[in-house]
Amino acid sequence: MKKLIYAALLTAAAFILIQSCSKSSVNNNGSTDGSSFDRKAMLTNLSANIIIPAYTAFQASTVSLDAAVTTFNTTPNATNLTALQAAFKAAYQQWQATSVFDFGPAEQINFRVNTNTYPTDVNQINTNISSGIYNKDLLANLAAKGLPAMDYLLFGTGADNTAVLAQFTTDGQAANRKSYLAILSAELKTNAATVLTAWNGAYKTTFINADGTDQGSSTGLLVNQLVYDYEILKNYEVGIPAGVQSMGTTFPTKVQAYYSQMSVQLALLHIQAIQNIYLGKSAQGDGSGLDDYLVKVNAKYNDGSLNDAIKNQFAVAIGKLQALTDPLSANITNNNAAVTAAYTELQKLTVLLKTDMTSSLGILITFGDNDGD
Amino acid sequence: MFNFIEGRFSSFLNTSRHIAPLAVLRIAFGSIMLISVIRFIVRGWVSAFYIKPKFHFTFYGFDWVKPFGAMGMYILFALLIITAIMFTIGLFYRVAIISFFACFTYVELIDKTTYLNHYYFISVMAFLMIWVPAHRYFSIDVLRKPQLQITHVPAWTINIFKLQLVLVYFFAGVSKLSYDWLIAAMPLRIWLPANSSLPIIGGLLTQLWVAYVFSWFGALFDLFIGFLLLNSKTRKVAYLLVIIFHLATGWFFKIGMFPYIMIFVTLIFFSESTHKKIINFLKGILPKVTTNKHKSSTYHLPNAKTKIIYTILILHFAIQLALPLRYLLYPGKLYWTEEGYRFSWRVMLMEKGGTIFFHVKDPATGKTAEIINSQYLTAFQETQMATQPDMILQYAHFLAGEYQQKGIKNPIVTAQSYVTLNGSGSRLYIDSAVNLATEQETWGHKKWILPFHNN
Repeated sequence: MKKLIYAALLTAAAFILIQSCSKSSVNNNGSTDGSSFDRKAMLTNLSANIIIPAYTAFQASTVSLDAAVTTFNTTPNATNLTALQAAFKAAYQQWQATSVFDFGPAEQINFRVNTNTYPTDVNQINTNISSGIYNKDLLANLAAKGLPAMDYLLFGTGADNTAVLAQFTTDGQAANRKSYLAILSAELKTNAATVLTAWNGAYKTTFINADGTDQGSSTGLLVNQLVYDYEILKNYEVGIPAGVQSMGTTFPTKVQAYYSQMSVQLALLHIQAIQNIYLGKSAQGDGSGLDDYLVKVNAKYNDGSLNDAIKNQFAVAIGKLQALTDPLSANITNNNAAVTAAYTELQKLTVLLKTDMTSSLGILITFGDNDGD
Repeated sequence: MFNFIEGRFSSFLNTSRHIAPLAVLRIAFGSIMLISVIRFIVRGWVSAFYIKPKFHFTFYGFDWVKPFGAMGMYILFALLIITAIMFTIGLFYRVAIISFFACFTYVELIDKTTYLNHYYFISVMAFLMIWVPAHRYFSIDVLRKPQLQITHVPAWTINIFKLQLVLVYFFAGVSKLSYDWLIAAMPLRIWLPANSSLPIIGGLLTQLWVAYVFSWFGALFDLFIGFLLLNSKTRKVAYLLVIIFHLATGWFFKIGMFPYIMIFVTLIFFSESTHKKIINFLKGILPKVTTNKHKSSTYHLPNAKTKIIYTILILHFAIQLALPLRYLLYPGKLYWTEEGYRFSWRVMLMEKGGTIFFHVKDPATGKTAEIINSQYLTAFQETQMATQPDMILQYAHFLAGEYQQKGIKNPIVTAQSYVTLNGSGSRLYIDSAVNLATEQETWGHKKWILPFHNN
């Protein structure tokens, strides 16, 4: 037995010599002062100052939107159309700060895809209008509902507001179109209220208390959804319309908010919202966020800190987006190089968020469930 | 000296031992398999891993292994349940264990995305169990045919499992003898603080010294536990350590059934009297059955069969010794290239993550399309693929095929891949200029993997 142990020790020693010459880490990770990052404080800040205010504002915007729809449907005139369009834009803008949180109550009702699946399916919308039949649970109707469908109804059914108005007054389908509009805005309002009620109720506590990093922990859910939503921004708001996935064939009509022509504005609001979550920044000031977490675990990127790299890349990507102008669809047709340049910088941020950030925090990037070993 | 070794070897093979440890192993392994398979189904993994994905990462040389479609896959898993029950209770044992081994291994070969060392371990254990008469004591087969019952078996039938387990632990230990693990306390210094919300010890896990203690203890445990289990003087303490170690890792990390499997199968190291007690205990809780009194009888195999089995086992253990060392034949850093990484009992050794963007170029027009990986892969597949060169290559070939079907001749597939290893920060992983469509999978080194450089 002793001989066996000696033999094992010798072999082991030999392997130390062989393997120790290659090292991958430079002793830079891990909290140095030994104290742990207070994830609960981060979750508290994020939920109280960012998530719940976002849902509250979005819910309020859907109430205003639905009221504007009612006014317009009762008295469809140019003034009420303009007011409705403004209410719609406000809701769509607020959605950009709301879409990230597709976990918990939002996930239960598939809030993100029910609210913002685009490009919207004009044929499906028109079929629903002429048949007068609409089943909100039908998969085909995902692209015929929510903000993109309203975007089409309020801005895309005519070349200008006079033509749009005619669709709701003199057109043969005007009555059906008005009721479809009402159904869509009511659905949005109901969904927004459902999620907000859940967050104002028990879920807030659930969220703050699940302060581990395992599957189903709030940090895990939030980071996974942040990365996922960021990729939606990169791919669907910019990349796909600019043709990066289609050998240069561009799809200008696939941008977000194609008809209301505020795609760039929305993309900027979207990335700034994601940046604020990262920073823990809100109207209440710069609270605890993922940036503080990365600083705490001393995460490195090349020779600098990972946090600096991420903050810097946010700034670069936002700068490139700011160089674009609405309508984005026209930009894609006229100056696609600027759009793909923005895409390239967005892409770099993907790597930092998806790979470096999650790996430094020990968070598994997965949208499913599996064992490791 | 030579005589001494020969003597030891002969006693390793032929000493007559009571069969009880084999019967207990059969029941322990079988019941934990039954739980594992049911858990796998209940979690919806049959669908998530084998039905939903459009594309599967097969193993080199096993391209012919394909999933069977929804109905077929569920039948396969039903077979796993049935055969696990059958060999646990010892009913039509040979048929059951061979079918279990075949079905389980087939499932594992469908997609390397789900490769885990403990799945490989299950295949190895099931394979070894095919060659031993584990059903000829305390089993339904013996009830059916009392003449099958034996009380003694040659020692090799038990010792092969001990040898296998010693190899597993020892190689797992050897793989921890690296700069990263011992000197940098990586990846535990990333993983442990992530568990700081655990009750009682959570606060400790953020201390750097704790990561060192865990790293060193883990390495020493793996290196020596096999030998401590072999030694009758240290066995009880060793088994206690086995339980503590595996339960702790099971608590900290998401490693599924692995801890329980190891706790169950390491029972094999105990003496035959312990195993007899276990069987008596089981007899006590099972319905009483009248059996004929145990006559002492020994397992006899015809010489020819013994020779065949010996040959198979020698081959098996030769492969077991060689596989974990094959990485020495490849240049570069093993954790980075992962050439020779699988099938080597390298468990929980690295925190590795990656993001990869594929580009398909039409050589005729020079135009390029970036691929949205989620169109073809599940999130799990994409995560695994991003850090493993052989999977990157397989996926690149798949993409080339897809675009060929779309009418593009000889599409050029390149990949921009960023990987971070043990907190190194992401850096380019493979040569993004190389046309992966024309690179072939071989046993050789993939030259397009960029070397790992420290900053």
